[in-house]
Amino acid sequence: MMRRAAIIGTAAIPVGRHQCKAGDPIQVVEHEIAARLVIQAMQDAGVDKSEVNAIVCAHPRPYTKQKYFSTFMAHYLRLPCKGIVMETMGNGLTAALAFDKAVDEILLGRAEVALALAVNMEMSVESAVHMRDSVRATGDVDFHAPAGFTPISWYAMDAMRYMHEHGVTRAQIASVAVKNRRHAALNPLAQYRSPITLEQVLEQRPIVEPLGLYEVPPRGDGAACLVIASEQRARALGRPFALVRARGFFHEGAHQISEIPNDMIGFVAAQTAGRIAYEAAGIGPDDLDLVEPYAPCTIVEVLVSEALQLAPRGGGALAAQRGETSLGGRMPIATSGGFTSRGHPSYATPLYSFIELADQLRGRAGARQVADARLALASNELGNYNAALVHILEAVR
Amino acid sequence: MTAGGRLERIAVERERSYPPRVTAFTQPFWQALSEGRLQTTRCRACGRLSFPPKPICPHCWTEDVEWTPVAGRGRLYSWTRIHAGPEMFAHELPYEVGIVDLDAGLRVAVRLVLKPGQACAPDRAVRLVVLQFLDGPLLAAVLQ
Repeated sequence: MMRRAAIIGTAAIPVGRHQCKAGDPIQVVEHEIAARLVIQAMQDAGVDKSEVNAIVCAHPRPYTKQKYFSTFMAHYLRLPCKGIVMETMGNGLTAALAFDKAVDEILLGRAEVALALAVNMEMSVESAVHMRDSVRATGDVDFHAPAGFTPISWYAMDAMRYMHEHGVTRAQIASVAVKNRRHAALNPLAQYRSPITLEQVLEQRPIVEPLGLYEVPPRGDGAACLVIASEQRARALGRPFALVRARGFFHEGAHQISEIPNDMIGFVAAQTAGRIAYEAAGIGPDDLDLVEPYAPCTIVEVLVSEALQLAPRGGGALAAQRGETSLGGRMPIATSGGFTSRGHPSYATPLYSFIELADQLRGRAGARQVADARLALASNELGNYNAALVHILEAVR
Repeated sequence: MTAGGRLERIAVERERSYPPRVTAFTQPFWQALSEGRLQTTRCRACGRLSFPPKPICPHCWTEDVEWTPVAGRGRLYSWTRIHAGPEMFAHELPYEVGIVDLDAGLRVAVRLVLKPGQACAPDRAVRLVVLQFLDGPLLAAVLQ
């Protein structure tokens, strides 16, 4: 029988401010947080430490002082491994790659149990200083960065184009932020949980026009751990788990922007990776019960919902405005609260998305539980969705 | 302006906030730009243009490339005004950037220079200009 992998345990800290200023007398260090999360996730999974044979860590931010984090954690936790101990890096995909490679260790038979771990600490660093480095990650450092592009400026240009092509208003796109805040109010891991109105969203100061403060991701610290096991090991536990049913990946061969004019807001990587995943799972988009997209800004959720065929082209914002993508709607999207409210500790964010799906599929999402959730999709990305990594998970109860 | 014609040069009395590196290969690009000429590489084998210029053809993987002039007329695909930016651009905030589809079939992402209060929208006709800083040039666009 083909080997398959499953999420059997999870743990995370609430997204928010955890890292201290450099001069503070009492400091918070990443490995103390990560070690506790590993133990909590393993308790949740109900497997023994001796069964773990792989640790895949998202590479931490440069503000994490301890280097070689994965091998340091192997020591901190006294965890000898026959599979792999490694770190992943891929901009927004970073933690999604940690999940993907941990799953690979299971599929390759190198481990029966693997850990995907991510710690993103950055709140000790001011935004303007932080962005000094992030401009280097969004395009060609010599031909784009000198113009002053920022990571989210590309999404803002997606929004401008989308509004122009489809006659959609900023308010319609902004309804995504209001919807996601309602979801976040029900999520104890979320960074911002107080309800907001559309008027409040629209009156925030502009960040990258047409997007204002509540339409772009807040900064935050976060850390999460997933325990992944072979399907066989998961079944032997006799408890609900989230089976990784299918995967799709596509890199369009362009970094941030294609010099060959294309349909930039079609998100071809998400279209393609989604199609590959749907085909591998033998399902269509309508079969899904919920979706956690990598969507730093409101507009990105709209565009990726269209690329994954959850809404018609040009209809993603309208679907959100009508409540179709709210909890209780036709296709709940970002039940965690999404990046604008659940938060976006970048190098850990994708693990929070997988935790949301695992909680939903294991039937323990509390007040935000999607009734009888059986199939769920996570999409992750880098650049302006130049690459997409899509996973479809299935509830086994 | 025809291909090989000059781009308008606009003097800026300060240095670039985040200057590009110049390599032995890209030096002719920056030199031409400082003279108001936009040029990039074309593959002699498949005829396709690259941007940014490259010493190889990304399409057919030959090294048989040549410099070719590019006309600076095109259409604005999209744009934004940035209000929160990196430390080195703080003194310029807010500023505009845009994506331009050139008539030559290339898409470029550049600084957009608007007149005070000038309205802007995708699909507006634009032309490229050179911002001539004290330490060197940068490519930019203005509305037609």
